Amino acid sequence: MRSIILQILAVTAINLKSLPQRLWLSLATVIAVGLVVTVLLAFLSMANGFRRTIADSGAEDIAVVLRSGAVSEINSVVLRDQVRLIEDGPGIARGPDGKPQTSGELYLTVNGIKRSTGTKASLPLRGLGPLGPGLRRGVVITAGRMFNPGTNEIIVGRALGKEFEGFELGQTVTFNSTRWSVVGIFAADGSVFESEIWADLPVLQSLFKRAGSVQTVRARLTSPAAIETLRAYSDNDPRLKLDVMSEAAYFAQQASNTSDLIQKLGWPLAIAMALGSLAGALNTMYSSVAARATEIATLRAIGFGGFSAFVGTLVESLILAAIGGVIGAAATYLVFDGFTASTMGASFSQVVFNFQLTPRLIGQGLLLALAVGLFGGLFPALRAARMPIVAGLYG
Amino acid sequence: MNDLVLIRKNLFRRKLRAILMMVSILIAFAIFAVLASFERAFNAGQDRATPDRLVVLNKINFTQPLPISYYNRVAAIDGVAQITHFSWFGGYYQEPRNFIAAFAVDPENWMKLRDTDFVFSPEARAAFIRERTGVLVGARMMEKWGWKVGDHIPISSSIWSQKSGSHAWDFIIVGSFTARIPQADTNVMLMGYDYFNETRSFGKDLISWLALRTTSVAANERVIEAIDGMFANSPYETTTDSEKAFSKAFAAQLGNIALIVELVVGAAFVTILMIVGNTMVMTVRERTREIGVLKTLGFSGGRILRMVLGESILLALLGGLPGLGVALLLITKVRDSLMNFVPALSLYPDIAAAAVGLMVVFGIITGLVPALNAMRLNIVTALGRS
Amino acid sequence: MLSPADPIDPMIDIVDLCKRFTKGKETITIFDALNLAIPRGDFVAVMGPSGSGKTTLLNLLGGIDRSDSGAIEVAGERLDRLSESELSRWRASHIGFIFQFYNLMPMLTAAQNVELPLLLTRLGRKERRERVETALGVVGLADRVKHYPKEMSGGQQQRVAIARAIVSDPALLLCDEPTGDLDRSTADEVLSILQVLNRDLGKTIVMVTHDPAAAQYAKRSLHLDKGHFIEKELVA
Ligand SMILES: Nc1ncnc2c1ncn2[C@@H]1O[C@H](COP(=O)(O)OP(=O)(O)OP(=O)(O)O)[C@@H](O)[C@H]1O
Ligand SMILES: [Mg+2]
Repeated sequence: MRSIILQILAVTAINLKSLPQRLWLSLATVIAVGLVVTVLLAFLSMANGFRRTIADSGAEDIAVVLRSGAVSEINSVVLRDQVRLIEDGPGIARGPDGKPQTSGELYLTVNGIKRSTGTKASLPLRGLGPLGPGLRRGVVITAGRMFNPGTNEIIVGRALGKEFEGFELGQTVTFNSTRWSVVGIFAADGSVFESEIWADLPVLQSLFKRAGSVQTVRARLTSPAAIETLRAYSDNDPRLKLDVMSEAAYFAQQASNTSDLIQKLGWPLAIAMALGSLAGALNTMYSSVAARATEIATLRAIGFGGFSAFVGTLVESLILAAIGGVIGAAATYLVFDGFTASTMGASFSQVVFNFQLTPRLIGQGLLLALAVGLFGGLFPALRAARMPIVAGLYG
Repeated sequence: MNDLVLIRKNLFRRKLRAILMMVSILIAFAIFAVLASFERAFNAGQDRATPDRLVVLNKINFTQPLPISYYNRVAAIDGVAQITHFSWFGGYYQEPRNFIAAFAVDPENWMKLRDTDFVFSPEARAAFIRERTGVLVGARMMEKWGWKVGDHIPISSSIWSQKSGSHAWDFIIVGSFTARIPQADTNVMLMGYDYFNETRSFGKDLISWLALRTTSVAANERVIEAIDGMFANSPYETTTDSEKAFSKAFAAQLGNIALIVELVVGAAFVTILMIVGNTMVMTVRERTREIGVLKTLGFSGGRILRMVLGESILLALLGGLPGLGVALLLITKVRDSLMNFVPALSLYPDIAAAAVGLMVVFGIITGLVPALNAMRLNIVTALGRS
Repeated sequence: MLSPADPIDPMIDIVDLCKRFTKGKETITIFDALNLAIPRGDFVAVMGPSGSGKTTLLNLLGGIDRSDSGAIEVAGERLDRLSESELSRWRASHIGFIFQFYNLMPMLTAAQNVELPLLLTRLGRKERRERVETALGVVGLADRVKHYPKEMSGGQQQRVAIARAIVSDPALLLCDEPTGDLDRSTADEVLSILQVLNRDLGKTIVMVTHDPAAAQYAKRSLHLDKGHFIEKELVA
């Protein structure tokens, strides 16, 4: 056993010492693997950041009520009578004053200008009632104040204000030939709500000619399980053609399309590139074996086993790939982690999110790198182990 | 035998090595062709739009409506040659995830305006104008759902409902149409506005936007000013834009796809440049002695340079052309599943041509250093001291 | 050019040739003022101790190395006055090289190896094939056309190399230890071929060898030592 380990160490040392002879080719392999890992991790951290921003926005004990088949808030219409019926529904928590904890809301989109590109983009403008902010986790005004009911005042989500022009505190913006003043900036625990503009519901209803109707109703449930009761209640009333789901489920579904798409693009691209760099790794390792043919044969002639030649070659390949993987992960971390981007969400409006690199994703990247190293080293290692001694000595 | 035979024999001297390099080149060019086509298809809206086409949208956002009365008022403006209106139906077939791109339009004028993009048979044209409950369905949508002309199909809306409270409309497919230009997407359904407007329970007399063609590009500016000026300070202010600019801005909302494509393609090419470039240098270095012999036989430096470059270009073509084949296969495969997202996805001929050009450039780049080394090789040193 | 008064028609005429190698600060002078004339149709064996400059001389004669001064005229051409590309063209039509280690292209068949120099001519495919067959016939390998070098013995490979050297019908063959890697009887076969080429086809041959027995095949033998020739006539 000890002897085998010593043999392996000796062969590995020889391999690594001869590495400078193949410096450029080895370096090419390292960088190729690094680029593969960078591409993979860039896509995965983008998908992850997008999914977390949206999916983490939803709470289990908040119900979202939409018109059936609407899929997203922007399509939905919930009529005045339906709102009333929902408010009276079972499973909805009531405040100290006995009022149901619900918020009928409008969800409109308005134009804004993206700072980074200067292009027009659709931003969500949400009209909500006094209970609305309380139905969301961690909503705090970070600058200015809350809008006053009945006025043309808006408050702007922190992330939206950073990405889009013209929504600084104290500025006025024009929608529908009316002027609105930005009176506050709010944070919402990094959730998707930070990509929204909020205004008073009745004001929006009248200015956008939607008097009486809303698009969604949010309601605090007495418990997450109460969603079933509320759904059963809605399904059994022919006046309510509505979809009832938990806010968590709603956002999970909103996030899945886009983040799935990003992942579905990222993995095949990374795997294709990995195959390309695998070809490079094989090339490098075959050259390595060829370059060391004499050394390997000499060692074999004095009694070293084929196994040590095998392991020595494999280790060289794995080391090169691992270096590449670490470089790739580091590059992704430095360049992309925390990178802010925005894209169109399921409601045709912009969602601001950050790329998020997690240890789990880094692990996936390194695994891919090591897979390239493993397969890139395996066949050359077999060749090294099986090489006829005589050919190596006199070839 | 000729030089090409010599080049080929040199290239395949180490078969495994040559094949490995070809595989990595194949992958890089497949990535290039797929992503470039993807980006092109993604921006197809911009490519399709001729400069004389304008869209009139609600100034707040394109999702906000406009009154139908604007249709006639804009049509009367001097410089407007053809015009139609659109209403977004938000359709789905059976299940919400079976999205159907459907619009309510003024049938006659819509077909006139879209004559440059689509081919309408005289029967389909007449039937669509005649039948109030009829819909016109593009060829790809017909194919996707296996529909035929004459079928009755229930299409639900995720937005609208009928006065009866139902979310579904029953339509008869009265005709189909095909694309006149490759960028035109036929995965769409058109219905008559009158029937739609009468049956819906709210939003009456509101449309989504207007699309028009001006008498000449020179008139664009004037028409835009006239339209937006006419509705300024009204409850429904408009913003009029060229269709190209609107498509571009819409595509840009998804993010900077072009940049992502460039970065990935760049990464793939850097990878193979390094792998293939280094391998070529190594290959030629191994062949030093033989090059010395060729020179001794009287082969000139220039001819040797051409032979090494020929080898690297041949390698790039042998890897790259199958890569284009793979790209074509992939694109045809994913075409239907991405139909809603990038309708005009196909391997565009100019992208394929650019890829072939890139292969030659790639071959020259990877072969240049070893070719120059070989050209300059001193015979006496090359033959060594044996 | 030759002066008309010259009694012989020399294939090789070297006058005061000087050749040095510089490595860093050190300069080794191989030839100081070498003079040599070899007439057409001659078969000369060049012998001498290792490092005496035999290979260097062949390289200079074949125009693959350059002299530092002096005149070197081969087959009527002043090599010291030709450019690299002119030298390439000249070599293709006037010189056949034969090396100790054959230097065949491993990925080409015997016939393709022999055909290589003909790629530099204007000959059509059919003519090329005929020439290749003739050349391989001369060296007795007409039956090995499709074999690759690694499928042939050393002697056979050297015969292919000879066929390659004569296929474009050059007047001068330069051989650097052509039998250095062969056993006695194989060497004899190869040398007999060279002798035939000289005697029957009139090729001028300059052959470097360490083997006195090989030198016996030549018409005469020259001894190179310390940069000068000592001639020894041989009885063939
Ligand atoms: N490129 C070079 N750079 C430096 N010195 C060289 C070079 N080529 C040859 N020499 C030197 O020139 C001298 C003559 O070399 P050459 O190869 O001509 O000898 P040779 O007579 O052919 O010897 P051998 O019988 O061993 O083949 C030697 O001392 C050698 O070291
Ligand atoms: Mg020598």
